[in-house]
Amino acid sequence: MDAARGTTALAEATIGGPVLRWSSRTRTIAGIEAELARIWTSAPLTTTGADGAPERHVAARTSVMNLVVIARRPEIAEHASAVIRNLAGRHPSRTLVVSSADPDGPSWLDAHIQAHCVLPRPDAAETCAELIELTAGGESGRHVGAIVAPLLIHDLPVTLWWPGDPPLASPQALDLLAMSDRLVVDGSAWSGDGLDRLAALAAIVADRNLGDGHLAVSDFAMLRQSRWREAIASSFDRPELRPYLGGITRITVRYAAHPGAGVSGTNVIKPLYHVAWLASRLGMSVVEPLRPTKPGHMSGAEHPDIGAPVDGVLRAGRRRVPTHLVPVESTMPPGTTLAVELTATRGPGSLDVAVTAEAEAVMVRSSLGGRALPVRRFMAPRRTEVELLAETVESVGRDPVAIAALVMAAELAATG
Amino acid sequence: MRELRLERTGKRRRAAQTERNPLREGLRLERVPDPHVVVLFGATGDLSHRKVFPALAQLWRTNLLPQDWMLVAVGRRPYTDETFRVEIGRSLAEFNRVPLDREIERQFLDRIVYHRGDFADDGAYDRLAERLDGMDREHGTTGNRLFYLATQSSAFPLIVGQLGRTGLDHEVHGGGWRRIVIEKPFGRDLDSARRLNREVGKVFRESQVYRIDHYLGKETVRNLMVFRFGNGIFEPLWNRRYVDHVQITMAESIGVEERGSFYEETGATRDVVQNHLLQLLTLVAMEPPATFEADALRDEKVKVLRAIPEPTRADAARNVVRGQYGPGWVAAQQVRGYREEPEVDPISETESFVAARFQIDDWRWSGVPFYLRAGKRLPKRATEIAIQFKDVPHRLFRDAAVDPEPNVLAIRIQPDEGILLRFGSKVPGLGLDIRTVTMDFTYGSAFSVDSPDAYETLLLDAMLGDASLFTREDEVEAAWAIATPIVDSWLDGPAPEFPNYAAGTWGPEAAETLIERDGRRWRRI
Repeated sequence: MDAARGTTALAEATIGGPVLRWSSRTRTIAGIEAELARIWTSAPLTTTGADGAPERHVAARTSVMNLVVIARRPEIAEHASAVIRNLAGRHPSRTLVVSSADPDGPSWLDAHIQAHCVLPRPDAAETCAELIELTAGGESGRHVGAIVAPLLIHDLPVTLWWPGDPPLASPQALDLLAMSDRLVVDGSAWSGDGLDRLAALAAIVADRNLGDGHLAVSDFAMLRQSRWREAIASSFDRPELRPYLGGITRITVRYAAHPGAGVSGTNVIKPLYHVAWLASRLGMSVVEPLRPTKPGHMSGAEHPDIGAPVDGVLRAGRRRVPTHLVPVESTMPPGTTLAVELTATRGPGSLDVAVTAEAEAVMVRSSLGGRALPVRRFMAPRRTEVELLAETVESVGRDPVAIAALVMAAELAATG
Repeated sequence: MRELRLERTGKRRRAAQTERNPLREGLRLERVPDPHVVVLFGATGDLSHRKVFPALAQLWRTNLLPQDWMLVAVGRRPYTDETFRVEIGRSLAEFNRVPLDREIERQFLDRIVYHRGDFADDGAYDRLAERLDGMDREHGTTGNRLFYLATQSSAFPLIVGQLGRTGLDHEVHGGGWRRIVIEKPFGRDLDSARRLNREVGKVFRESQVYRIDHYLGKETVRNLMVFRFGNGIFEPLWNRRYVDHVQITMAESIGVEERGSFYEETGATRDVVQNHLLQLLTLVAMEPPATFEADALRDEKVKVLRAIPEPTRADAARNVVRGQYGPGWVAAQQVRGYREEPEVDPISETESFVAARFQIDDWRWSGVPFYLRAGKRLPKRATEIAIQFKDVPHRLFRDAAVDPEPNVLAIRIQPDEGILLRFGSKVPGLGLDIRTVTMDFTYGSAFSVDSPDAYETLLLDAMLGDASLFTREDEVEAAWAIATPIVDSWLDGPAPEFPNYAAGTWGPEAAETLIERDGRRWRRI
């Protein structure tokens, strides 16, 4: 292997697990391109065939996607790189982790290029995934789009993962989104109540100029709730209970808040997504967006220090459906959903469903006309970022259910 | 007829609409089955230990089983719940795909109870029925039952009859579903398969019956449909105009191991050709189904089987080759011949290898031979489907040292699943030499290497009531209608000259002749 410019000769690949096969540094975009080409010309192409004779395989560059991570701080970049390395056999084809530093200094670029290879079986060629960790200093750090564009594998989907608080409405973000097919965020990690960014995200989803008009969006906050949605949906699986979906009269979501949150605000993206998902699935529309409860209406249980509940009204057909997001003092991380409660009527009958979090499970308790139905329990362990990112990189296309929920969430939270 | 069909379609649409739960839309991967009890007959057997329990444990680990879930293991051996759990714990340690966390394993094992009883004993079923009712009350399993027959096939009619006698098959309104999973072999010829279908049909409706062929649960097999019908570029080529022939190989390097007495009664044709190989053939050859619903898919598969002419005695003699391995060397180890294996007759005529040439008489495939081969003690373990395309119509590169080889698209099913395409490429240099190169796609390199085992996929499907990957009554019978005349033709013919291939080789010489006669050769795998 060529030893120029800090290239390191690395271990032979073992079967199954990814091995670091290439590591080099460079300081220009052209340098990065040259290094990437060298990885592909030096990967072993000839392997031993079944009869012992050398057999030529085309190097299997299993091209699935580009993953671009925008990390505004070095610690976010380090964390993201660690998550990506842990994806192991699920590597996208090329990952760029871009962070910027020293915005007022002169322009510079520092890139660390790595190839992680997997040997699927002894007689096959290795398949490699590239990881480029880039730091851009000075002015160039403000033009990330110009750094990313030449480094993407062409004709492959681009997933843009933006951890932390992305400036979604900024020109820099729009530049990057214009070349992306999927945006990945974690709404529950946004600062404050998260609603400003939610509005920006909904605007991006509605923007037909992005992602060729099909920009897909994945929010870890919504992905984490999949088992909750399964639990809620299951309570209406029985044919005799299904009609009650058309008669929902009240939706209440309780979420964890810590004392002092009244001032800084608790991130309410997760509880809001629950209401938005239900409303969008059931074809409801927003009559009154969510607003803080008037002080006179506040019940004694809620402590003003943890923030006020918010109330809104949805409409299903001709029926008004009061909706509440209620903070509850809890040791759980702020913004965690504690309970989703639904009340529904149909003729003289009434159905109450309470879905609550208990340790690593979600419990569904329902009662029909006051008579308790069997309790169901769904395991819902908290999923790690590695698992969520793995699910994200493997998902394809725009998920209409997620998009509808996102748009509804923004309408419910409308500040106008 | 047309009106009838329209009416039926209309009915199905309406039914689907009333059943729809709008909250289910978009919840694709997370579906957890309703609470239920699995009643596993033959729970102490090899299949249960190697496949069924590990698959269930993985489903439990990944939270895909409902929390209100129980398993009743039915067997004849004297175990208590506790001793049986210890036994299963041991099997899990040995056969699990991903090791279980100790606590998760404990939770899983706690949901298994042992029910001792002879399959013929009325009392055992009466007690079972009582026990299941008790479970509904205690564990909230709401009357849903999945019966799983992992016993010797001879016990199937007995168990099914007893389930009928005790009314355990009845789906009571609001009282839950009843389904039965039946393992292979489903009959040993056309007559016995029909008899068994009739016995099962006396008790269960066809929609309650899930005949398992684990090959259909494998990722690559499922991907075959995506590959064919989800890509625009292959389907136009997938016909007699471009395809020269198709080869389906299922090679095993192992011998009969501990299954000598079973294999003596079965042989390669019954063991793998009638089910796995013909299933693969139907998936390669079928027309695009109208929808991805279980019956639409199975209708198309049955059509393929019916388009294969039932072999006459002369066809069998000409187009089928059987073999049996003698002593030899496999993977640097000396191994004994079939007739020296434990529990095998020293003058056995059971075939451990079979190669066959089939034709499919329909518009798409007329004139395209399908070559199938399967055997034990072959040089390596490999299962693949290879589509060989026709030669280029005109030889343009006259000066090249060799002519370009025809393109091959190979779908590898095991050991590691993937797809491979061979095509000609110019050798670098001033001359114009053509060399065949391989473009090799391995699943593990593009996606998670953590694919579920076939049994995990199939068990979950049965629990969710999706029968797409299970074999329907008419499908089983149509496959036997092809395999039965072949095995029957051997019954009164002259004794075969067995053994006729050495362990560690690719089968008897006659298998080569079978394909070389058509001017083709087996792929070197």
